[in-house]
Amino acid sequence: MQLHPFSIPYRAGESVVRLAWVLVLLVIGTPQISGAEGVGVLVVVWFVAALAYQLVYYQRFAYELTEDTLDIASGVVSRRKREIPLRRVQNVDIRRNVVQRMLGIAQIDLETAGGSSTEASLKYVSHDEARRLQAEIGRRKRGDEPDAEPAESSELFAITSRELVLLGIVGIDLRLLSFVTVLLPVIAPSLREQFADPLLGLAVTAPFIALALVVAVAAVGGLFAVANYYGFRLSRSADELHYERGLLQRYSGTIPVEKVQTLTISENVLARRLGYGSLAVETAGYAPGEGGSQSAVPLAERDRVLSLARSIEPFGEPTLERPPKRARRRYAIRYVAVAVIAVTAAYTVDRFTGLAFAWYVALGLVPLAVVAAHLKWRHLGYAVGENYAILREGFWTRTTIVVPHYRVQTVLDSQTIFQRRWQLATLVVDTAGTNGLTGRNPRALDIDAVTADELRETVADRLQIELRRRKDQRRKERLASIEAAE
Amino acid sequence: MEDRDAAPFGDDVEPAIRRIDSVSAAAETLDASELTGPMRTLEPSIQVVWILRASISAFLLGGLATIGSVVAFDDATFGGVIFVLAFVFGVVHAVLRYRIWRFQVREGSLYLERGVVRRVRTVVPYVRIQHVDVSRGPIERLFGLATTVVYTAGSRGADVSIPGLTPESANDLQDRLKQLAIAAEGDDAV
Repeated sequence: MQLHPFSIPYRAGESVVRLAWVLVLLVIGTPQISGAEGVGVLVVVWFVAALAYQLVYYQRFAYELTEDTLDIASGVVSRRKREIPLRRVQNVDIRRNVVQRMLGIAQIDLETAGGSSTEASLKYVSHDEARRLQAEIGRRKRGDEPDAEPAESSELFAITSRELVLLGIVGIDLRLLSFVTVLLPVIAPSLREQFADPLLGLAVTAPFIALALVVAVAAVGGLFAVANYYGFRLSRSADELHYERGLLQRYSGTIPVEKVQTLTISENVLARRLGYGSLAVETAGYAPGEGGSQSAVPLAERDRVLSLARSIEPFGEPTLERPPKRARRRYAIRYVAVAVIAVTAAYTVDRFTGLAFAWYVALGLVPLAVVAAHLKWRHLGYAVGENYAILREGFWTRTTIVVPHYRVQTVLDSQTIFQRRWQLATLVVDTAGTNGLTGRNPRALDIDAVTADELRETVADRLQIELRRRKDQRRKERLASIEAAE
Repeated sequence: MEDRDAAPFGDDVEPAIRRIDSVSAAAETLDASELTGPMRTLEPSIQVVWILRASISAFLLGGLATIGSVVAFDDATFGGVIFVLAFVFGVVHAVLRYRIWRFQVREGSLYLERGVVRRVRTVVPYVRIQHVDVSRGPIERLFGLATTVVYTAGSRGADVSIPGLTPESANDLQDRLKQLAIAAEGDDAV
């Protein structure tokens, strides 16, 4: 099979856009080429050259879906032939931006475990072909007959407009706002009395401009969230999750349920207040930094998020334990120390330089530090059950990570010299999943050192037990199928 | 390693589908208990390697500080002080690091304990081992040492490496881990 013919002009166009800065440099660097005409000629020449290259690329690019593999032969200068075993494929993603949608073409990406980057990507095939490949790869992985009924799919979640609007608001990063609101009252009054000239105006308004900027950034962030998750749908068919989303750029992908590594439920401050949360699933397919975890539910009521998470991994309703209270004392001491340094710095600046700061306002940071310590402690939690380890952390964005024991890769507990004094330790449960969205490791921060020591072994033991159980189960299934055949 | 010589790989091919009673036979032929061992420490000479490495960075740091102090105060003492401090720190760190470092080839997993400032105890189940390397850097070669590196599919990558082994024991460890990983039947490493 070949790519869609439209991929030739599209890819050529892409290379023109990608190399726009080279064109700019050329125009600046060469005096002979000047004005719009010169640029126009350059662009056309470039485009034609790219077109020729892409034509050859198109002719040399062939792919074929066999019963067990996807074979791709490609390359203009150096040729390359690849066979990707379908069994190893983790995710099949389709994406289309606005232009691609107008041309009716789509990009399809295949991810396998262990790869440092996307295993294969077809740029570009027709949208129907992409959908066919996605469905066919899913079918062949299951080992269904070609004429088998397409797997029954049931919708798990579809975002409502209310949730979408909420997502736009909740998606705003509150840390930005809090930073500005804390800083403003400290700086603004002193500046107002200090300068009695036109500079004053600027100095006073600058923070407000900064605030306006932050609000604008937040608004843009909200808009992005809305554009990203517009029309979000999640459905489940047999052993795959399927999602679709996007206003301008449409994404559609599959997540094999058996390859799910961890589940992450995250709720930021606003979402928590409103009783909302989001769910992401991590698979092993993606390279770090590529956004490995996929949003399964961008935003929904907490109960709904939890029940959806439980439908993927039935982890029940465990009660999370908090770290010992001395962890809270530790945070309080640490934060107060930082606050004291800040107060001292503010006082020094006020005392020894011309800038009159309302330094005493910084004293407010001290009680704030105590509150912060309590909040940090309050939102920590862990539970190591029979089949799952559940680890919670974070005040601004609270993430609760569900790790099935049989997904554990390594377990470790670590103790810094500061933690040792308090007999606290951190337990880290590592999986092959990449926490792309939150960047957080599944860990239990500052739990009792002895408990951490025990839990490390417990998790490792549970992994062995789980693996043995699953092996037995597979063996029984295999035998049952043999006996049925006999 | 006599184990492996006695039953080389591929000698007797196991059928892909087996009866329940015969399935675990393959795992049992590799006697896991013979491959495991007590808690072990590193070769003492690794301290010299670490001290050498530390002195290189101490030298660089001291050099920078010397240039800085000569330019600023027209006096090189400051640079010397920095060098001595960094060097002493490096030596103390290397010695402590050696004393703390230990590892054990346990029944179902590899256990490591290390770290001066941040003490880390890691458990690597054999099922999760993807492959095992032995590497020898130039300084290590000078002192007849080697490092065994264990790779898993974990997102923290290759941070499980055991330095300060003699080349023989590094190879031996590599062999053991390989066999234990095979015995653990890592068919679903992810």
